[in-house]
Amino acid sequence: ELPPSHFPAARAAAVALGYLRYLRGGPGRGLELRALRRARRQDIDDVGHKYYLELELEDVLDKDRTVSCTAEVLYGLGSNSSAPDVQITVQGELSSTEEADKEFYNRIRSLEKELVAENIPDSHGNVPPELEPIHLLAWAASGYVIWQNSTENTKFHLAQVKHVKQLKRSDEDLQFDYMLLLHEMVSQEVIPWEVAVLWHPQRGARVCRD
Amino acid sequence: MRLPVLLAALVAVATCTETFVGHQVLRVTPKSDEELQKVQELQALEHLQLDFWLAPRGLGLPVDIRVPFPSLQPVKTHLEASGVSYSIMIEDVQALLDEEQTEMLRSSRQLPLDTNTFNYEAYHTLDEIYSFMDMLVAENPNLVSKLEIGRSTENRPLYVLKFSTGGTNRPAIWIDTGIHSREWVTQASGVWFAKKVPTHPGHDLCVASILETMDILLEIVTNPDGFAFTQTKNRLWRKTRSKHSGSICVGVDPNRNWDAGFGEAGASGNPCTETYHGPYPNSEPEVKSIVDFVKSHGNIKAFISIHSYSQLLLYPYGYTNTPVPDQQELHEVSAKAVAALSSLYGTKYKYGSIITTIYRASGGTIDWTYNQGIKYSFTFELRDTGRYGFLLPAKQIVPTAEETWLALKVIMEHARDNMY
Repeated sequence: ELPPSHFPAARAAAVALGYLRYLRGGPGRGLELRALRRARRQDIDDVGHKYYLELELEDVLDKDRTVSCTAEVLYGLGSNSSAPDVQITVQGELSSTEEADKEFYNRIRSLEKELVAENIPDSHGNVPPELEPIHLLAWAASGYVIWQNSTENTKFHLAQVKHVKQLKRSDEDLQFDYMLLLHEMVSQEVIPWEVAVLWHPQRGARVCRD
Repeated sequence: MRLPVLLAALVAVATCTETFVGHQVLRVTPKSDEELQKVQELQALEHLQLDFWLAPRGLGLPVDIRVPFPSLQPVKTHLEASGVSYSIMIEDVQALLDEEQTEMLRSSRQLPLDTNTFNYEAYHTLDEIYSFMDMLVAENPNLVSKLEIGRSTENRPLYVLKFSTGGTNRPAIWIDTGIHSREWVTQASGVWFAKKVPTHPGHDLCVASILETMDILLEIVTNPDGFAFTQTKNRLWRKTRSKHSGSICVGVDPNRNWDAGFGEAGASGNPCTETYHGPYPNSEPEVKSIVDFVKSHGNIKAFISIHSYSQLLLYPYGYTNTPVPDQQELHEVSAKAVAALSSLYGTKYKYGSIITTIYRASGGTIDWTYNQGIKYSFTFELRDTGRYGFLLPAKQIVPTAEETWLALKVIMEHARDNMY
């Protein structure tokens, strides 16, 4: 059993959140951790450390509701291990984003010129309302990067979208090339990361792997 | 009214070459055809260099004329001789322009006139914060003074505000903000705290009673070089701006440069990293000046260093797993402080020792101050938990400062009631 105020549980929770943001996040949904209720760690010989977590999440666009979920995060042994293995079960329903997704999709598709933006949020923490969906999509993309690159000795957050450029596609996906700045808490480093993301209202977010 | 637009145009001109000293603006409202004709005659006299702000248009409609100083006598004589009445709208155009320019510069830089018009809901530049300090001292000369405790690497003054109702070297509470320059909500909160202390006496018996027996020392911009750098070059700069020989990389982490477990695990020896501890303890003038101040003061009873983000209240140690002897008391005070903080807006904080709650960190501020005998040594990590991180929206400055103040009061009261 781990005290939720101690950092190992908090780091595992950040991985679980990143994973879920990638899976379920998007321009119409920004998942944030409301509380870490319980945490347990299991040391598995020759395999690694497995964390069992009980989390309470909220959607930043709908803060009155919370959703509970349980997660298992398995960090493999060795410094060159692959991404942590994450299993998440969401209890109950996340609120629908169908309308917001459709509106965003149509708005971007109808732009004459490809969208370009930078510094989201800006130095003073401002995000123009029309760029909030781009910001939340960046969260989803950063969720993938965070999940793939986390270890028990790291805790990543998206610090800022340094730059984003839309790439027009001939198929039905939207594509955005992001330059993200990730803040790593333990080393305090700010790490730039380029990520290309495809997004579609039905198909959700997919990070392009190169 | 056309006046401000014209004045603005004149300001633009005035700042370049011309002067309007002694010029006046006269208003004539012709009531008859004869009067109208007399005014129109003036238009033809080019040598007078009259500038018609409002040209003659008809009976009963005002005519405004800027008259250069040398032409004042002839124009007035001309009008008076014909019985045309006039009024002096502007006695001295240059004086008005000078006033306008000051006002324009002031509003474009948003320079407040006093600490009541200062905008606490916005982030400010270093100059604005330093001038705020001077205004606060000027407005509260019997309570607030400004001490220069040293100079930064780039020779910026390091200022501490001292709040004192008298006595000699009273036991004191130290609060610093902005040691890591990118944590902007902390400097902004420091400004708010500074304003709050003098504003208290009538409103809050708690702080008034603290000031009866203790002094409060507040360093708002603990890392001014880094702060200036976040305004001009890199918003996410954390360290100081020192250059140490042998590296092209700049800066030392001021929260790894203290003489407590210096250089041990929990800091980096690589100058190009964010947690570089520096070549030796107190190598950074920003740190050394506080060390010297604390040692020579000798009577500081509580030391609170404020950072962001993560929403944590932390006590020593960061450099070792050994709990501090006063662990239980510090843990209890933290619990009370966090409860007070939460009571305002429901903001949730976690608390504990640095090494268990956040990470191992060596050479940290409050580890050193605790080892100096300052029992009530705490570090705050303010809002938020990562949604905006360092880039906290300005509208959260005041709520953050307000809730944090409640926690600070708990710590200050406890120090006052548990003198050692």
